[in-house]
Amino acid sequence: MKTRVARFGLQLVVAAGGVAFAAVLAYAVLSALKPGGEVLAVPLRWWPSSFEWHNFARPFTETAFSRYYLNSVVVGVAVTLLNIVTCTLAGYSFSKFSYPGRNAAFVVVLATLMVPLEVIYVPLYALVFDLGWVNSFAGLIIPAGTSAFGIFLMRQSIDSVPDELLEAARLDGAGVVRTLLTIIGPLVRGPIAALALFIFLMNWDSHLWPLLVASDDEHRTLPVGLAAMQANNLGASSVPMMMAAAVLALLPTVALFLSLQKRFVEGVAMSAGLR
Amino acid sequence: MTALSRPDQASPPAVNPRHRPSGAGTSRRRRVHGRDLLGALLSVPALALFAVFAIYPGLRVFYLSLFDYSLTAPPEFVGLDNFRFLATDPRFRETILNSIFYTVGTYLPALVLALLLALVLRRMTRGLGWIRLLYFLPVATSWVAIAVVWRLVLHPDGLLNQTLGLDVTWLTSSTSARWALVIMGVWKETGFFLILFLAGLARLPAEVHEAAMVDGANAWQRFWRVTFPLLKPITAICTIIAVIRGFQSFSPQVVLTDGAFGTEVVNQFVYKTAFESARMGRASAVAVLMFALLIAVTMVQLRVFRREDS
Repeated sequence: MKTRVARFGLQLVVAAGGVAFAAVLAYAVLSALKPGGEVLAVPLRWWPSSFEWHNFARPFTETAFSRYYLNSVVVGVAVTLLNIVTCTLAGYSFSKFSYPGRNAAFVVVLATLMVPLEVIYVPLYALVFDLGWVNSFAGLIIPAGTSAFGIFLMRQSIDSVPDELLEAARLDGAGVVRTLLTIIGPLVRGPIAALALFIFLMNWDSHLWPLLVASDDEHRTLPVGLAAMQANNLGASSVPMMMAAAVLALLPTVALFLSLQKRFVEGVAMSAGLR
Repeated sequence: MTALSRPDQASPPAVNPRHRPSGAGTSRRRRVHGRDLLGALLSVPALALFAVFAIYPGLRVFYLSLFDYSLTAPPEFVGLDNFRFLATDPRFRETILNSIFYTVGTYLPALVLALLLALVLRRMTRGLGWIRLLYFLPVATSWVAIAVVWRLVLHPDGLLNQTLGLDVTWLTSSTSARWALVIMGVWKETGFFLILFLAGLARLPAEVHEAAMVDGANAWQRFWRVTFPLLKPITAICTIIAVIRGFQSFSPQVVLTDGAFGTEVVNQFVYKTAFESARMGRASAVAVLMFALLIAVTMVQLRVFRREDS
């Protein structure tokens, strides 16, 4: 009895904590809808006296927000597609073929997991500068075109496709690429979706690299553009507009999370090598 | 790494039971070989990207750390001067301390909180599953956008002060700015580790727990003697990830404080050294030190956790 009460109390505390965590996001959405004078009202006012939907138009009319948004979508989709192709091909190659140097190449790929962007970005920038890719989509997309985690994931997944199945396809005269598209592809659709989600989320959050290679308005992605907007709009009258911009920037990934919870959670767990 | 030691699928003679006319033996072997060659080529796009955009810069960062280099002029060899400079530079030292403060301040509470929440939330299923989603939500947010939101939360008249009845100037004082970053960091990162701990708990065998329950162990004993030891490998992984994430931190410091009020972290120091002072060599030297630190931390943690294990 005593333990049951204690457990109920504990669960109540945890539930309240969860509500407090999510309250920050609710506060952001409601602040984006408030008239300018109410966002910092004392005492705190949760519910707007009137819903100012036009706050959501302000980032588009007053700043280059639509450009940043479009850039983030374009770069995100391009990087995701590129990763699906390069990681699936490499995973297939490392899993189902034997050739000298295969295992060594795989070990080198895994070793790059130990070297984060933060360690290499100075020479990486120098390289991209020499290639003439500063302030270009190539500079944003191509260096992010593959991932060690993705190759690892795809190799593990393709490992579980039975060799007999591939052998049968081969005897039927299917080539290497057709086997990949018609036999393996459908069987690893789940891992590919997890990879796509993971890469897109990572890219949507990416700030440091785009800040270096995309400094002009034409190529800025959302994180870079939003940070610049924040620095230029410190006044209280800009708060609803900035909240609206932030909410719009959060929307795609939060929506993806809510609609694909299970995959999302699996993806996070996998990225830590737990599954 | 069991995957690495698995046998090759080569062994061609046994694979194809079909009989072929004379001479087929050699031609088939050549065909298998051709297929493997094509298979090898499939890894080229990924490997080429790695070679150019990860391995080359990864090696060049060591080389550049020995040079004075401004991007536009050719590099000039200076030996260990960059490292000597850093050893005595008070600003570099301060950013290191700030990074340590942010990493420990954010990730120690986040890890503890995530573990405790996981132990409770594990049992909260059947209609209560949505509660864990509330904690997962911050994981789906991007750093810059959520930092813009937190600027308002941390405003003197913002959500935090008004809810808790405080009067703190979170973002504009050198005593509280670092704590503001920590508070936001804990909010943002706890869910990530909660996901990892829940995944880890889900993989624990239920029988062990039941056996302990039958033995009359109380909740605390069950956690400390049974669950926690089994969670050690996951705790080790989480700690390593936490340190790496902590030392890579950049966006929250840029958006919340722009590195002012004692919040400038190592990554901002590298950025400013390389791109505002145009000292790419010195910035590379910091990167080399950061790399050494990450490797050292990883090795120490793995060793500590392994020793406790045995």
